[in-house]
Amino acid sequence: MKKILIFIAAALFLAGCEEFTPVFTGQYPDPQLQKVWTDADFGEITSIAEVKQMYVDNGNEPYDIEKNCVIKGQIVTSDKSGNVYKSFYIQDETAGIEIKMGKNGLYNDYKVGQWVYVDCCDLTVGSYEGMIQIGYKDQSGEYETAYLEHQILIDLHVFKGGFATEEELVKPVTIAGDQVFDEKYLGTLVTIEGVKYFNKVFCIGYIDPNIVDEDKKKSNENRFFLDEEDPDNWGITSWAMSETLFKEHVDNGDFDNVVMNDGVTVGERKHLIKPTPYTMNQWFEMPGLSGNRRFLQVRSSGYARWSDVDIPQPVLDGTETVTFTGILTKFESDMQFTLIDLSGVKKADGSPWYDENNKVIL
Amino acid sequence: MIKKVLFTIAATLCSLALFAQSDFGGVKGTVVNRAGRVPVAGAELILSQGGEVCAAVKSDAEGKFLVEGLSNGIYDMTVKAVGFLDANVNVTVEGYIKDLIFVGMTLEQVVTEVDDSNFAEFDMDDSGFEDSPSILFGSNDPFTNIASFGFSSIRFKNRGYTSESQDVYLSGIRMNDAITGYSPYSLWSGLNEAMRSKETTVGVETSDYGFGGYNGVTNIHAMPSSVRPGWRFSALTNSALYRLRLMATYASGELDNGWSYAFNVSARLGGNDWVKGIYYRNFAYYAGVEKKFDDYSKLSLITFAAPGQRGAQNASTQEVYDMMGDNMYNSNWGYQNGKLRNARVRKTFEPVTVLKYTYTDDAVEASTSILWRTGKNGYTALDWYDAPDPRPDYYRNLPSYYYMEDPDYDRMNYEKYAWAKDIWEHRVPEYTHLNWDRLYNVNWGNYDEAGLRRSKYAIEERRVDQNDINFNAHVKYQPNKSFTFAGGMTFRWNRTEYYKRMDDLLGGDYYLNIDQFAERDFAANPAMVQNDLDYYLANGSAQVLKVGDKYGYDYLAHVFDEKLWARFDFNLGGFKANLALEGGFNEFYREGLVRKGMFAGLDDNGNEIIVDGKVLTNYDPYGNVISSKGKSEIQEFLTYSAKLGLQYHFDGGHRIYANGGYFNDAPTFAQSFISPRTRNSVVPNLETMKTVSADLNYQYSNNGYNVRVTGFYTKIMDQTDMMSFYDDSQNSFTNFAMSGIDQRHMGIEMGFKIPLFLQGLSMEGALSWGEYLYTSAPRMTQTIDNSAEIIADNALVPYWASHPVFKKSMVDGVIVYETDEYGNYVVEEWKNHYVPSTPQLAANLGFNYRTNSYWFFEIDAQYFAHSYLDMNPLYRTDMAVAGPDNITTPVEVEYMAAQEEFDPVFLLNASIGKSWYIDRKYNFGFSLNIQNITNNRYVKTGGYEQTRLIDSKSAERYYRFDSKYFYMQGINYMLNLYFRF
Repeated sequence: MKKILIFIAAALFLAGCEEFTPVFTGQYPDPQLQKVWTDADFGEITSIAEVKQMYVDNGNEPYDIEKNCVIKGQIVTSDKSGNVYKSFYIQDETAGIEIKMGKNGLYNDYKVGQWVYVDCCDLTVGSYEGMIQIGYKDQSGEYETAYLEHQILIDLHVFKGGFATEEELVKPVTIAGDQVFDEKYLGTLVTIEGVKYFNKVFCIGYIDPNIVDEDKKKSNENRFFLDEEDPDNWGITSWAMSETLFKEHVDNGDFDNVVMNDGVTVGERKHLIKPTPYTMNQWFEMPGLSGNRRFLQVRSSGYARWSDVDIPQPVLDGTETVTFTGILTKFESDMQFTLIDLSGVKKADGSPWYDENNKVIL
Repeated sequence: MIKKVLFTIAATLCSLALFAQSDFGGVKGTVVNRAGRVPVAGAELILSQGGEVCAAVKSDAEGKFLVEGLSNGIYDMTVKAVGFLDANVNVTVEGYIKDLIFVGMTLEQVVTEVDDSNFAEFDMDDSGFEDSPSILFGSNDPFTNIASFGFSSIRFKNRGYTSESQDVYLSGIRMNDAITGYSPYSLWSGLNEAMRSKETTVGVETSDYGFGGYNGVTNIHAMPSSVRPGWRFSALTNSALYRLRLMATYASGELDNGWSYAFNVSARLGGNDWVKGIYYRNFAYYAGVEKKFDDYSKLSLITFAAPGQRGAQNASTQEVYDMMGDNMYNSNWGYQNGKLRNARVRKTFEPVTVLKYTYTDDAVEASTSILWRTGKNGYTALDWYDAPDPRPDYYRNLPSYYYMEDPDYDRMNYEKYAWAKDIWEHRVPEYTHLNWDRLYNVNWGNYDEAGLRRSKYAIEERRVDQNDINFNAHVKYQPNKSFTFAGGMTFRWNRTEYYKRMDDLLGGDYYLNIDQFAERDFAANPAMVQNDLDYYLANGSAQVLKVGDKYGYDYLAHVFDEKLWARFDFNLGGFKANLALEGGFNEFYREGLVRKGMFAGLDDNGNEIIVDGKVLTNYDPYGNVISSKGKSEIQEFLTYSAKLGLQYHFDGGHRIYANGGYFNDAPTFAQSFISPRTRNSVVPNLETMKTVSADLNYQYSNNGYNVRVTGFYTKIMDQTDMMSFYDDSQNSFTNFAMSGIDQRHMGIEMGFKIPLFLQGLSMEGALSWGEYLYTSAPRMTQTIDNSAEIIADNALVPYWASHPVFKKSMVDGVIVYETDEYGNYVVEEWKNHYVPSTPQLAANLGFNYRTNSYWFFEIDAQYFAHSYLDMNPLYRTDMAVAGPDNITTPVEVEYMAAQEEFDPVFLLNASIGKSWYIDRKYNFGFSLNIQNITNNRYVKTGGYEQTRLIDSKSAERYYRFDSKYFYMQGINYMLNLYFRF
């Protein structure tokens, strides 16, 4: 009897230990809600424009921020559809900038319309072909910034705030004509109306994309350009190409006549081609501009869920125009445009070209 | 029982002959429990001379026995009793009835009071491994006695054989899993008392209960009459697996009215000192009733189960272990609002019921049984949809992902490396363990248009629910002393359902039944991403899942197995021979219950399935439709096996015996499908596995000495194997179906027990020294669950069995590989690759001391060596070895194809125990067992190679992902208190 009592006592004692939680209850307390950071948690807030200026002031060289510098911005992009990838853009009233987070599925933790604070101390402000970004120092020297990538770096630098109210919510600014070249709109949510399809694509294809060595990868025997014929979209009527779609085009012989830099056609190397998804630019013309300045290249990722979705036929035919809403970007001197998803593709009357399943509404 | 009949006959014959002689005498005495002098009733005493049985009697209720009519001379007396170790005594008969006074028996429990679940139960489900402890049961064999418990912590496998090769019978019915072949110890773990009584054969030896294979047969009696009568209570605590075990047992023994009944219940609860997250919440029950109708017939009914759940352990890379400073680190758990929670939990409830009829008379013993196993077996795991990998030791969370010294890895970010290293070395829980709080917060924040929260993280339960019905009939006929016939037939029908069940939405409202990997690749075609295409086509959207819903995959394994076997025993003086034959028919097929969009197959009318103008039906490279739903082709196999055994007993307790066998076994269901979760496709070249095995043994058993030396040779040919690994780059399982694997196992096995100068002191030893290696270059087919693509189609794995080591020399401090006149590298030697996950050299030397005051001491020193890591076929292909440049260099071969050998291990274990008796009726006592006294925390017991390749900057070669390991616990104890009456 005494022994039984001892065991009961021991059992009760053990019930207090963490290893016995699942044994006796199987229940776990609800986790705590994550902290919502507010202005009060940070001192002075620096504007995004000021941070971008640091890069310019540094002679357009990457600048390692080594002082107290917290920016606050509203998230305006989502990586859900995969066109924006491993990063998001935030925007305050002065400017917009890309934060190079370096993780997949960011939209799960960072929502469009949510405020974030970025503690830029120990981060680097750099540029990728004209687009200023905030990221980690790239020790490989290959790029001006690197992804934050590791959760500890994200947690040390990026703090989630509350959600913007209806009034605070960033609305796309409609820009036209020369405004497109105004640097202040780069990296921000904009709308451009009346854009016409130009029937041209730009895409760098590879015979073997798996080659790691940069020189070999870019060699004349490995790389081919889908842009030489002007205007010709090489039969590519989608926003980009997934691996499957690329393979279909190759099998169809759509690229057979592309002449590579060593004079050999893609058709002759067809049997060597290893398919992969391709990010590519579809060319459009903006109204009110002329010459090369009139072109807007809509750049979409082959990993985007809608990469293989066709541009609406009336747009391809040139009978109808598009109103784009997305992030204004650039590549060197070319103006580019990044769609967040296909809801940013609208008709002239403002109604959407695509439904929620990315089917064209005619 | 059979033996009893046999011995009674033999004794009668012997004594008749003996009475005729003039000089005869006898022996008498009382059989007692050595610890306590409590009489042991029903003990069987067998007297023999030169291997010839002369008399057999049983002790009465007071333990007393009397053997008369023995001719003068020296006899070997063997005493057997349920729950006790066999005792051997030398008796000299000198013309009168000699009173031996007490014949002491040692409780089996002193050595074997060890729970089956003490065998480290690893969880490597995702890695193509099942947790299948390789247990050898305790018996009177000096080797198995030590190896059964003493070698379990290192996960020793007898003669290097897999668990499937060990036949485990319950009450005469083969219990090895119908789908995998594994011995299903977990079905009765925690029921040590009810399952204690058992018989074991070793190696190729045949058993009375069935044909067996080449790795012994263990038959657990499990009948109420075989449970030790009386009450027994015990409480056990240990620091290696669970904190507390409570157990109660009662058995009536055979009552005057012919009834006997027994029950055994237990609970195993709590965690342990070494691996966080492992916990037990396991219960077990056994109830049995038996009725003896007359002297011949008996009907028994038993039912048992071990319901419960336990948290599982996971293997990690050495990088992780080193940073955590702990080789016992377990990445399966994390804190949820401060409470420790494990994501991987085994949940089982599989009741087994047996109805058995036995007939026994002087010459015949026959039985027929029906066994039914049913219930559920689940294993939880995290599932996530389009969200970051939540596992803390995911390779991108580790420092090595950011920086490697060798620039060819192209990992140059030292600062990120330093940050990552810092959080691991400081063991910051949010990063080094699962972050449940984050997972909940993500789900809480993920509102859809309807205002419902779609879970991005959830817990799935992978279910394997068996229905297994066995019918068995068995007869043993002994018309005379020199001939025995045994035979039987078994029929088995198994239907197992494999599916996933939504276990916990982690704060969200629902989950969707779609395949997220497919969605990434086939976003434009929503039909392709459906796990249940029929549901989608009927409802226009994917199924919305709530807790308890089936999802992902759902298929049945159907297995039918029939066997007929016979054994003939011949006895002539000291010479014995037996021949056994078995023939069988085995068939199985897969039946998919859901249609996966990716492998839609044909519709009910045999037409291609077209959705939105796109043909979903796809074909394999041979033009066969790939189907997820419906029945696969039926796989049929005729099997046949034969065994021959010869033995000769010499005078004085010496015995030489040899066994040989040829086995032709069907592959198991689990080995036969290239991606059973998703399709009906069968492994190419599926054929029966052939095994040739032989052993030669010498045994000496006399005067308390017990020695066995065995040499064995086994060749296994044409094996198939299925390995399945989670590959995060694909967000899916990648499957390697291998065929044509040949192995050769040879070695010696030795066990001895030698009494020393001091009464009660003996020396015990065991040695298993073998060479178990692969001898063929198999073929493999690699697939990914979520792709129709066959990544490797029946490709040769040339470096599986061995790899070349090239001749090299140092020139100016640089290694230079020598080449011959044609420019080929010169091969210096071929390095063999070995059957993994068991030491090929295992040795134990121990001293065992029992005093008359019921103290018991034992100390064992052990040495294990030549243990190897399990290999991944990918790293042994030409593709992986040659690298992206397709040029094979000596450096690449020696890096990629080599197999890791674990360091040798020295271990020290000790036990102490004591019993007390009150009024010679109540008995209580304790035993304390301490394992790994030197606290060696660097003992690898197993692990596996990951299946991914790392590109190099030079693009000339590949690197491996780090291997993952399991380690043995450091010093740990087990204290058992028991009370019986």
